[in-house]
Amino acid sequence: MTGRPRADDRGAVSHIITTHCLSKTYGDRTVVSDLDLRVPEGCVYGFLGPNGSGKSTTMKMLLSLVRPSTGEVRVMGRRMQRSTRRDLLRDIGSLIEAPPAYTHLTGGENMRLVQRLLGLSDGQVLRAVRTVRLQDHLDRRVATYSLGMRQRLGIALALAREPRILILDEPTNGLDPAGIEEMRGLLTHLAGRGITVVVSSHLLGEIDRTATVLGILGQGRMLFQGTREELLARSVPDVLVDTPDPDRTAALAGGWGAVRDGPGVRVPGLDHDTTAELVARLVHEGVAVYGVRREEQSLEDVFMDLTGGGGL
Amino acid sequence: MGAVRAELLKLKRSLSWTVVAALPLMAVLAGVVNTLVCGAALDEGWHTLWLRTVVVYGLFPLAAGVAVLASLLWRVEHQGGNWNALMGRPTSALAVVSAKVVVLAVLAALMQAVLVAGVSVAGTAVFGLPGALPPRYLLVSAVIVAACLPAAALQSALSMLMRSFAAPVVVAVVGSTAGTLLVLIGHGTLSTVMPYALLTRATQLGTGVFGDDGTVTGEGAALVVAAASALTAAVVAGSAALLNRRDVH
Repeated sequence: MTGRPRADDRGAVSHIITTHCLSKTYGDRTVVSDLDLRVPEGCVYGFLGPNGSGKSTTMKMLLSLVRPSTGEVRVMGRRMQRSTRRDLLRDIGSLIEAPPAYTHLTGGENMRLVQRLLGLSDGQVLRAVRTVRLQDHLDRRVATYSLGMRQRLGIALALAREPRILILDEPTNGLDPAGIEEMRGLLTHLAGRGITVVVSSHLLGEIDRTATVLGILGQGRMLFQGTREELLARSVPDVLVDTPDPDRTAALAGGWGAVRDGPGVRVPGLDHDTTAELVARLVHEGVAVYGVRREEQSLEDVFMDLTGGGGL
Repeated sequence: MGAVRAELLKLKRSLSWTVVAALPLMAVLAGVVNTLVCGAALDEGWHTLWLRTVVVYGLFPLAAGVAVLASLLWRVEHQGGNWNALMGRPTSALAVVSAKVVVLAVLAALMQAVLVAGVSVAGTAVFGLPGALPPRYLLVSAVIVAACLPAAALQSALSMLMRSFAAPVVVAVVGSTAGTLLVLIGHGTLSTVMPYALLTRATQLGTGVFGDDGTVTGEGAALVVAAASALTAAVVAGSAALLNRRDVH
């Protein structure tokens, strides 16, 4: 399965990475289940989920470091598998789990090593180093680097081959707020250069503002995939009824799952028609209704709802 | 070629250099001390000194040394995210495995060069032997380096698969003990196809001990080199296939 894109991929040219029913099981433990990933070209794809939700395994399958149990990965229109991976990996830079580097060597020697291995030019190496602003620290041994510097070196090592796709697994892990902010800037900068960045995190806040598309994973399953606006729109915020008689209101609306909430009543999961029905019922029963509104939800709330709070 | 150059760069500030220098010098020192303490004369001059230095060295220290070097070369790949990075690059598994074995061959050759230099210096400076080390021992040394390759390839494969530093070294010690037994009982076929036995056999070449007839012939040397080349190719191909199939966890 090498060479040209399949006929059924022609309509999905804007997606640089796709997976179809991607699953990975170890014994009877399912780590990733029926994942259909769609990564548009040139975006920053935020891959979110609690620790242990299958993000790293999925990223490893995207790189063919781990073979799927079932399903397939397609990158740039070609199936990613052992026989094609060397070819496809020319266009993919990656940083999976811990930052890679030979700690007994200097940053510069690590860069030279990749340069020799991949036959890169001095210019390519220099551009990668400047992108992560590490040019003033190349003479130091990596063992003396801070975690943030190691992450940046890892990204420089991945960037040096000037890839079309960059896959970063939790690059902000262990970074202080300034380091996280710096990483956000770097990802935005890379996306601005046309590189498709897939970045994972277990914390929404770390990549929320950077990612243009979000994929949320929970227990190996894709819970949501789309833009942040689509994510907000997907959620159904609770309905809050403001009334001087909350006990009676809660009793009347008990069938809809209503509960007392402070001075008012909270009813979860109501669509528009059911909300109108609820109001009609209350008015019909002579309950004074001062106001009915939807609770405002932040993206964080939606994420928490989807992942069961495991991410925070 | 790029993969080999990259591997050579990883040797910078590596403990490998200590092993390359210390192990053969310890063998030379043991030969010298043994001769001085026992008061046994070097009856056959350079030959006796070579025999007292190299025979024991070839029984298991050399194989253990090659194993330590292989573990040192692979240890850095088992650290941090280096495995993911190594396999996430467009470098073939064959290139990754071959580069490690080539570097091990270079280190084995350097180790043999240190041994030859050590024996030469000891023979001249300590025992006042006439002339220089006879050229036949340079030929034997070349055969020893060639015979190191299958053991190096096998140790490289073990260190690639095992995160443990010591376990592959233990395998080498056990393997070279078994290999020595095969050489001792004079099992020609098994001592040719078993990497550790081949290595021991090469180090005994021309010594006249452990079943060796004491001569160094072109035919005997060619047989060891041919067996070593075939074994190395087989082990490298096998470990590359294994690496290509294996998942990175």
